[in-house]
Amino acid sequence: MAATSGIIGRGTVVRGNLSGSGDVVVEGRLEGTVALEDRLTVESGGKVIADVQLENLIVHGEMGGDVVAAERVVISSTAKVVGDIKAPRVVIEDGARFSGSIEMDVKLPEGI
Amino acid sequence: MAAMEKVSTPRSGAHTVIGSSIVIDGEISGDEDLVIQGTVKGKIDLKESLYVESSGVIEADIETANVEVSGQVTGNIAASDKVELKADCKVVGDIRAPRILIADGATFKGNVDMDVKGGK
Amino acid sequence: MATPDGTTIIGESILISGSLNGDEDLTVRGRVEGTLTLTRTLVVEPTGTVKAEVQVKNCVIAGVVVGNVTASESVEITKEGRMVGDISAPRVIIVDGASFRGRIDMGEVDVERAERGSRPALRAAPRPALRPAAKAEPRKAEEKTPAKPSMPPAPVAMGAVKRKVIVKRK
Repeated sequence: MAATSGIIGRGTVVRGNLSGSGDVVVEGRLEGTVALEDRLTVESGGKVIADVQLENLIVHGEMGGDVVAAERVVISSTAKVVGDIKAPRVVIEDGARFSGSIEMDVKLPEGI
Repeated sequence: MAAMEKVSTPRSGAHTVIGSSIVIDGEISGDEDLVIQGTVKGKIDLKESLYVESSGVIEADIETANVEVSGQVTGNIAASDKVELKADCKVVGDIRAPRILIADGATFKGNVDMDVKGGK
Repeated sequence: MATPDGTTIIGESILISGSLNGDEDLTVRGRVEGTLTLTRTLVVEPTGTVKAEVQVKNCVIAGVVVGNVTASESVEITKEGRMVGDISAPRVIIVDGASFRGRIDMGEVDVERAERGSRPALRAAPRPALRPAAKAEPRKAEEKTPAKPSMPPAPVAMGAVKRKVIVKRK
């Protein structure tokens, strides 16, 4: 797993385009756009108001924006997420609050 | 006459059971036994046995191998093997089957045609 | 099998086409097309296919569902489940490995949204930002602006939101 290359701490607000490799953890507030090669973790007090493009996303806090993930998106039980998600795997835990669309690759049998 | 294995123990043989609170308006078809305790309006087309239990209400034409009615059927029944009307059932419609059994206490109104492929 | 307390089972080879209504749990191992309305729980087993508008209390999808599902309590898509359609339920659970495509509506979810072409709704001034650890690029200008209550230069009308990063030293 990639090393954590960035932490946006609890009292921090970042506005802008965030990109790069390595994992990023948001405990504060991040607005703008995000393009990461690895993982973004939004901790339970964190807020991300951005369209994001990454490999993995784990949300324990709040997220408002569209998501394109190459691997997986996890919306945990404490999360609140609004946006459209496109990823091969999406997990929504019991208790999560979500509103938006999800697009995974759905293989339907013939004749549907 | 020899009771068919499936007929004697319908519930354990059947994999499909339509419960008593279910109302189906449409067509049912399939290759397995069907037990109806609810209401079906439309059409039933089975390759195996149909059991209409006492709470069952059917307003449909039925085509199957075997039928055993303890409830209500309004519609025509065509069976390739046997039709059995048990006591307290109520059937209104034409029945066409090589073997027909109507028990004492059954209520039936309609035509009976046992001449299916010359079987009697 | 016998309906213990009213459980309807639609066997694998059964096809029901039309409208199905009921006040009991329903397990689908075969195929149901049309509309399906239950006051209880619908379970679509791995061999089951439901191509219908579904309205239930709870729904567990381990098979295939094509159509919209409205549940008054919960919808769960298991690892083997595949669904295409919209879900409207207060609780939705999607297990890792499930397949889903559609919208999910859990009611009001109060989250600020990144609007394209307009600034995100910023009300009160955000706490002054510190933390060089923040991997924040591009640092166009390290402005020592007092935290403005509203966004700096006016909203951009395009997808890429280019804004300056504001780092204020306390």
